[in-house]
Amino acid sequence: MTVEIEPSVTPAADGSVVRRGVWRTLRRRPAFWVCLVAVALLAVVAAWPAGFGGLFGGGDPYDCDLLESAVGPGPGHPLGTDLQGCDIYTGLVYGTRTSLSIGLLTTALALGIAFLVGTTAGYRGGWADSVLARVTDIFLGFPFILGAIIILNSTGDRSVLTVSVVLAIFTWPTMARIVRTSVRQVCDAEFVAAARAMGLRSSRIVVRYVLPNALGPTLAVATITVGGVIVAESTLTFLGVGLQAPSVSWGLQLASAQAQFQEHPHMLLFPSLVLSVTVISLIALGDMLRDALDPRGR
Amino acid sequence: MQHPHRRRRRAAVVAVAFALALTGACSVPAGDEPGSEESGGAQPSASSGTQPGTSLVVAESEPGDLNPGKQITAYDQVMALYTSLTDVATDGTVTMAAADSVTSDDATTWTIKLKDGWTFHNGEPVTSSSYVDAWNATAYGPNAWANSGQLAEIAGYDDLNPESGKPTTDTMSGLAVVDDLTFTVTLSAPDGQFPLQLSQAQTGLFPIPESAFDDLDAYNLQPVGQGPYMMTEPHQENEDITVVAYDDYAGTAPLTESIVFKNYADTSTAYNDVLAGNVDVAGVAPAKIATAMKEFGDHFYANPAPGIAFLGLPLWDERYDDVRVRQAISMAIDRDTINDVIYGGQLEPATAFTPPTEPGTPEGVCGEWCTYDPTKAKQLLEEAGGWSGEMVVTYPGGFGLDELYKAYANQLRQNLGIDEVTTKSTADFAEFAELRADAKLEGPYFSRWGALYPSQQNTLRAFFVPGGGGGCTNCSASQPDEVVDLLEQADGQVDQDAAIALYGQAQEILAEQLPIIPMFYEKYMFVTSDKVSDFPSSQGSPVWSQVAVSS
Repeated sequence: MTVEIEPSVTPAADGSVVRRGVWRTLRRRPAFWVCLVAVALLAVVAAWPAGFGGLFGGGDPYDCDLLESAVGPGPGHPLGTDLQGCDIYTGLVYGTRTSLSIGLLTTALALGIAFLVGTTAGYRGGWADSVLARVTDIFLGFPFILGAIIILNSTGDRSVLTVSVVLAIFTWPTMARIVRTSVRQVCDAEFVAAARAMGLRSSRIVVRYVLPNALGPTLAVATITVGGVIVAESTLTFLGVGLQAPSVSWGLQLASAQAQFQEHPHMLLFPSLVLSVTVISLIALGDMLRDALDPRGR
Repeated sequence: MQHPHRRRRRAAVVAVAFALALTGACSVPAGDEPGSEESGGAQPSASSGTQPGTSLVVAESEPGDLNPGKQITAYDQVMALYTSLTDVATDGTVTMAAADSVTSDDATTWTIKLKDGWTFHNGEPVTSSSYVDAWNATAYGPNAWANSGQLAEIAGYDDLNPESGKPTTDTMSGLAVVDDLTFTVTLSAPDGQFPLQLSQAQTGLFPIPESAFDDLDAYNLQPVGQGPYMMTEPHQENEDITVVAYDDYAGTAPLTESIVFKNYADTSTAYNDVLAGNVDVAGVAPAKIATAMKEFGDHFYANPAPGIAFLGLPLWDERYDDVRVRQAISMAIDRDTINDVIYGGQLEPATAFTPPTEPGTPEGVCGEWCTYDPTKAKQLLEEAGGWSGEMVVTYPGGFGLDELYKAYANQLRQNLGIDEVTTKSTADFAEFAELRADAKLEGPYFSRWGALYPSQQNTLRAFFVPGGGGGCTNCSASQPDEVVDLLEQADGQVDQDAAIALYGQAQEILAEQLPIIPMFYEKYMFVTSDKVSDFPSSQGSPVWSQVAVSS
């Protein structure tokens, strides 16, 4: 899901040089703007679902009329209704918040662990590095889907939070490795040596000089991770071990549409379309970010 | 596992496929109208005997135990290998199968006469000892055979199942051999429904040959019965089972020469294999009904079954104390539309507390309380003081029940104006059963019963008599004393009409109090390949020996 990259950053005391270079590269690419607009739109929808959900007359994802079960796209229901007679468009709008929440929350959690582990390993080196590297290896060794299914199956209540935590458990190792590598590279830089020579405390050196420079490549991967996590959540929910009703999520829509595909393809089509667009945008965005940060990888 | 006693379950591919993990009585509802070829049941069609060279391939899941006293997931196989004492058709008519007569004057002591000339597949004659020995072994507590509970009414059963310690005897005092073909059964309380209990799905009451007791483990892998088909080699786990017609069968000869019970882990794979022509018969999951009706047409069968689906009510929660609240919940659910949308119109909305295949079921007894009327429902709820707080509709996950319970919840939310109605599925059946047993469910919940013998007694006992279903995995949370009394009186009647009248009275009280809400009469649904020209069923399950194939 995530791609390991070999970060190569021009170390700078405050990272500003890097950012300016990245921005100049990115803004020239039309694909970047397309993806950015798509992601921004999703963010707005997620932040304000009530405004978008009601555009075509619906507006309440729980307002389902069994008598209007499985009707195709038409007035009032731009994308049709599902088996329960719920408006698919409204469901998609409200599902955006769920999906993005899980994507962002998981990535934030994973990023937190990754920074903690990666920085400690990279900055301390020695035995701490060895131990943490092995721990990371162990987590990387778990088959992701299998592990998530086992944990989720044994948790009773599966909410956005629990699903995010479980997904984070399996997403942090890749990022931790990247952080570690970046930190190691920055550690050898002269400005870090200078900071040490000045007698600054380790914590200050890490926060002020090391991390800002290690941030770039990790954030690129994090963007890709958000996309990957959204797919993972939908996959797990589709398999029946992710989110549960009364949550509204794309995965749940897909799961209930699965059995109806032959009779009512629209139920499956629209949620999968939105899911694909979201994930492709996020992953492409992360990819372009990574390219900009690491021109050698292009 | 809960106690295996008195678990009643109908044999059906659907039931087996869905209910493997559901303990005992909890298979999943399947669907409605009989297919084009409605059959009266097991009555032999005017056939010309076994057609040489014909075979039938049936999709099944791994059956596990095959010994009729132990099996709980091998109904189809075991019912092909044995013949029950009596046979009940879908309309409830009882005919004698292996028995010549089953009679009693007082409903307590029953005399069973066997037909002469029956033999087991190994040539051993079937005698009254074949039954008495088998029943004693099945009932013997330390054996822990799953179908032991089916014999619980026989006098002396308790001696074989003491509360603690080892039993001091290994025979039930209520069983006595009179001669080679006659034996008597004394029950611990009068029960006029006994002849129905001897019917085809109560495998705990099947005979076992004497030779089986030398090596019961081998018998469990290759049971020797006296039925239309026999096994020629021991079953190996996860392998298919082939049964062939037994030449010296004393009953009506089977039509097809051999049946292969093919092992499938997944019902949709089995379904696709019927489409592809690799398999002749498979059960249909609820989500597939609409597709199956379209794809199979005349070869889609929905057999009326002795199963009924309820919506259980958490009567330990005082908000449900007022009968008007319960009536409101019942009237807020549009059973017809749910049936159309989710079951392709194949089930039948319930209007009584027992399924119509159980003789004398007073259809319509629930009256307006089981009729959709959202206006009146809302009004009743208001009169009862309205609603406050959450209502969490709970059901066991993993059995394809999601759409059904989502629909219930949506309708309760909308028609009663309760915003906080949600659904919750448990991880598996065990978790659900635990929550139910501990009275920790926070709203209306999953409740159903598939009877093993079609008598109102079976279904009503399971829900309304304390301990009547062997534990209470989904029974009614309230079991009114007057209902218990009426059921006991009804059980004591030798005359079926008198019994039916009393069961009817009990149902009237239930309709008044509505401690549990009738939802749907179940059907067991199957699809068959074009090769199958006749697919008779009895009480929902196919009558394997009378399934006809064109070669």
